[in-house]
Amino acid sequence: MNEAIVIPMEHGLLLAGILFLIGLLGVLVRRNIILILMSLEIMLNACGLAFIVAGAHWGVADGQIMFMLILSIAAAEVSVGLGLLLQAHRRFGSLDVDQASRMQG
Amino acid sequence: MITTDLLALLPIITLTGVILVVMMVIAFARNLALTCLCCSIGLALTLAAIAWVSINLEPQYVTPLIVVDEYALLFSSIIVIGAFFICLLAYSYHADRGENQDEYLMLMLLSTLGGIILAHSAHFASFILGLELVGVSLYAMISYPVRGFFSLEAALKYLILSGVSSATLLFGIAFLFAVTGSLSFQGMADATAHMEHASVFVLIGATFVLAGIAFKLSLAPFHMWTPDVYEGAPAPTTAFLATVSKGGIFAVLLRFFVSFDGFRFEAILESLFWVALLSILVGNILALMQDKIKRVLAYSSIAHIGYLLVGFLAASAVGGKQLAIEASMFFLIAYFVTTIGAFGVVTIMSGSTESEHDTDQLSQYEGLFWRRPLLATFFSAMLLSLAGIPLTVGFIGKFYIFAAGVQSGLWQLLAAVVVGSGIGLYYYLRIIFSMTKQPVSEDEIDIPLAGGWALGMVSVLLVVLGVYPTPVVEWVTSVARALT
Repeated sequence: MNEAIVIPMEHGLLLAGILFLIGLLGVLVRRNIILILMSLEIMLNACGLAFIVAGAHWGVADGQIMFMLILSIAAAEVSVGLGLLLQAHRRFGSLDVDQASRMQG
Repeated sequence: MITTDLLALLPIITLTGVILVVMMVIAFARNLALTCLCCSIGLALTLAAIAWVSINLEPQYVTPLIVVDEYALLFSSIIVIGAFFICLLAYSYHADRGENQDEYLMLMLLSTLGGIILAHSAHFASFILGLELVGVSLYAMISYPVRGFFSLEAALKYLILSGVSSATLLFGIAFLFAVTGSLSFQGMADATAHMEHASVFVLIGATFVLAGIAFKLSLAPFHMWTPDVYEGAPAPTTAFLATVSKGGIFAVLLRFFVSFDGFRFEAILESLFWVALLSILVGNILALMQDKIKRVLAYSSIAHIGYLLVGFLAASAVGGKQLAIEASMFFLIAYFVTTIGAFGVVTIMSGSTESEHDTDQLSQYEGLFWRRPLLATFFSAMLLSLAGIPLTVGFIGKFYIFAAGVQSGLWQLLAAVVVGSGIGLYYYLRIIFSMTKQPVSEDEIDIPLAGGWALGMVSVLLVVLGVYPTPVVEWVTSVARALT
């Protein structure tokens, strides 16, 4: 009977933190709206991972429920985002956020 | 679920029902006047339900997610009243803009529902749910004008930045959850009750949560999106974004901090202090350089949320808590009245314009006193209230914040409030001054019936609350006493 390998919570949170940073960097660096939306999705999934890790540490189901909530929120947000993206492509003729930026500031 | 639970949820259930009815009405008859009528009646019914619950029921938890108490009902009622006025203004704005404007009002109701859920939430799951309900409907409301470039740009900016801030907020919540093992405000408070100093995880979590909330409240240094989104969005949406969405989020922030007792952590207070200071200074100074009314109002709203945060921080001092909470709530009510009024004027000015831009250039307001005296008077009243001149509700609000700050000894912040108000006076008076000039254009400005009445009522409310604020003061006092 080998012991179950327990991954410490800190490691899981660290992984989630790295994923979160990758997503954040993507949002900041990318210029294409589709890739920005993808990076946003990575950030939200990093949060979901952090919730699952924390929920597993405490042995409660709350973390997994929050993950499902996050999934549905991300879906809603991205679907509106894709709608806007279609409009943007039609009106600006490109998906580059710099070309879509016309207001000062 | 037992009957009292359902009865306690009556305002939420009513508004949900109204949204379904409005959706069906739009499916059968596309008539903006009819939709607007349904929405206004629905909001009035919701308000009646709130009043009924407040009179007949004791404060109670309905599931761990939602708490129905005086505090939640106060915020719900100001959100619903605000939405009611914006609904009338939005009708005037959209009435002459061609087909398919009906869904706008339905989206607005959905967003209002999100605001009410925020006011009731006592758990991070309901908080996130309410936040996203407000946010996702707002994306569509911002990009509603189908032909405009600027509204689309504003919507994209808001979508991306709001998504980032939601993710930040969620990440912070995950950390707090990892430390405490609970997602309800009360559970977190119990789990951290023994902590004198915040542990690293609590600090990381709280920082992320506050950064996310500061973004949604457009506090400096997270304010970059505000002027662009305010300028690009249609005027009624801007009014809605500035009031209902921010009011709901502030309600959660205050409730969370009071039950979590976040005021005991020095580091958190320190960072909030800088955020408040920066918001007041940045908002007021950048507003000086704008020549578009909507951008001026955007920067002034950054400063106003900064003032609100001063009241919020005053709750950290021992013995000053109740006054500070009262002051914050009253200031928020004043902010609602004034902001809806100010954007209401922009809405009515833009109602008859053909261009994709709203009428918000300062030059377009020149000579308004000679062309439309009443409208110009209303606008002047709103601007004076924003500047905090006596006899307006803005003065009482600012005075209240000041009193709370003095009691808690926040001298640096109070100095910033004074300096900020001084700078503010300049750019508000500049708008009033340009309205008294000789008019350059003789274009007719139509004042629509619904929007005109809504604006009139808001103006009356502004003066009445400024002269005789006692009933509202008593109301916020009793709510603050129940909360602490």
